[in-house]
Amino acid sequence: MSTLIDLAGVTKVFGSGAGAVHAFGPVDMTIEDGEFISLLGPSGCGKSTLMLMIAGLLGITKGEITLAGRNVTGPQTDIGIMFQDNTLVPWRTVRGNIDLQLEMRGIDPASREDDVEELLRSVHLEDFQERFPHELSGGMQQRAAFCQAMVHKPKTMLLDEPLGKLDAMTRENIRKDLQSLWMQKRPTVVFVTHSIEEAIQLSTRVAVITPRPGRIERIIDIDLPFPRDFDVKSSPEFTAYVRETQEIFRNYGVI
Amino acid sequence: MASSDKPSLLMRASDTIVRSWMFIAFFIGFFLFWEYAVVWFDIPRYILTPPSLIVQKGAADLDRLLYYTYVTGLETVLGYVVAIVLALPIGLAIAFSTILRRTIYPFLVCIEMVPKIAFAPLFISWLGFGLLPKVIIVFLVCFFPIVLNAILAFNSLSEELTRFARSTGASAWTTFLKIRLPAALPQCFVGFKYAAINATVGAAIAEFIGSDEGLGFYIQIVTGNMRPDLAFAGIFFLTLLGLGLFGIVTLAERLLIPWHISVRRTTH
Ligand SMILES: Nc1ncnc2c1ncn2[C@@H]1O[C@H](COP(=O)(O)OP(=O)(O)OP(=O)(O)O)[C@@H](O)[C@H]1O
Ligand SMILES: [Mg+2]
Repeated sequence: MSTLIDLAGVTKVFGSGAGAVHAFGPVDMTIEDGEFISLLGPSGCGKSTLMLMIAGLLGITKGEITLAGRNVTGPQTDIGIMFQDNTLVPWRTVRGNIDLQLEMRGIDPASREDDVEELLRSVHLEDFQERFPHELSGGMQQRAAFCQAMVHKPKTMLLDEPLGKLDAMTRENIRKDLQSLWMQKRPTVVFVTHSIEEAIQLSTRVAVITPRPGRIERIIDIDLPFPRDFDVKSSPEFTAYVRETQEIFRNYGVI
Repeated sequence: MASSDKPSLLMRASDTIVRSWMFIAFFIGFFLFWEYAVVWFDIPRYILTPPSLIVQKGAADLDRLLYYTYVTGLETVLGYVVAIVLALPIGLAIAFSTILRRTIYPFLVCIEMVPKIAFAPLFISWLGFGLLPKVIIVFLVCFFPIVLNAILAFNSLSEELTRFARSTGASAWTTFLKIRLPAALPQCFVGFKYAAINATVGAAIAEFIGSDEGLGFYIQIVTGNMRPDLAFAGIFFLTLLGLGLFGIVTLAERLLIPWHISVRRTTH
């Protein structure tokens, strides 16, 4: 495996002078090609900020980010980003929103019809493709947003709390789907979440971030076999990882 | 899906009927009260006439009323259309140019404070009694709400959508066509509708000040002749004109941004 994303002394300060907010860093970290890494941390610790900096959509105050060997100085267009607030536009249907990603990239949606169908089926939205976003539940909107973010088949995915608004059952289902998708295609995934179990179930590594200003407290290698189904989740090893992580948050006083 | 949609649709329909039934009853009640109050309180005819007489006398003068409706309608529509045609590109330019936003925009906001109608006598003294000064006044009344709402519309794209657009690497033009423009339409229509309501007001006042035809002229003349019945008939046609323009704009809104209307419908 080779390094895909390299963070060197990455720091973000919003504003300047007396009103400056030190939101994140300094952080050094490398993310390998093909790994599934979770960013786990309390609200406001800078997870979204970090994702936006990796995507080149937010300036870095200090430090450097390298993506696939190149310095990140502007928007990165060959990755897939799922933003924390979904980017579905209200004037297009689910299908139209997915096509929007292609159209913006100058790709004719007609040439990708089969891919879109498959993507919609994989998140069980095939019967809702002609619906408008406001006709969908929050969870369905999130799944549609996932399709929108992934339709151009990026090899690197930045997912900012993609399962945040889902109910426990759907959440479990989508985790399973996400895991098999990752096992099949082996994209590099940076996954933001609040859920300790989710992070451990899905990831090869979990980066635990401190409260603001966010720093990496510990990076935990999750050495469990894939797929991590019900049996793995009830194993003592899994529980040990959960305890280890909870311990860190208990020390911060956030749980 | 369809079966779960039906009862709510039916309920909504019956809801609307109940609400508008009360409204219609109130409306009829209002005119009945007017009709009989004039008789009961023995109000002289040169002060106020009952609605039945307005209809009767208005019908007798229908040719003149219809022609004047056409005259005022032409002034209104011309001024309104010119306002849209000029305000949209200017609004766009201001929204996307920092220099214009720092120079012309504050200037426009200052002028917006001036009651445009106050310019009416000046324009009429400069340009005479004809069509042009009325069109200019309607234009002035309509231009500002349209341009200010357009600037707001094109400047208020959500941060998330801005980022999404940048992450795709799309050109500014593609981003404009596929995201900025459709996202701006609802706010633009706020301006169009506000202007549509005020357009006939502008035309009527301009005609009060100096004209020899049109509904404003008519209302002023017949009022001077102690004919409130005909004045009300003129007001009725002026109202129809305003409603007509507003109706067309609302129809255009439904056609252009059905998604927005439907959002509003389900949230209420
Ligand atoms: N544009 C901004 N201006 C000033 N401060 C900001 C800005 N954006 C974020 N912040 C601050 O930076 C910190 C990190 O924000 P960020 O959105 O990255 O947190 P997060 O970890 O994603 O939180 P959550 O889990 O709630 O989404 C927060 O304290 C926030 O107040
Ligand atoms: Mg966040």
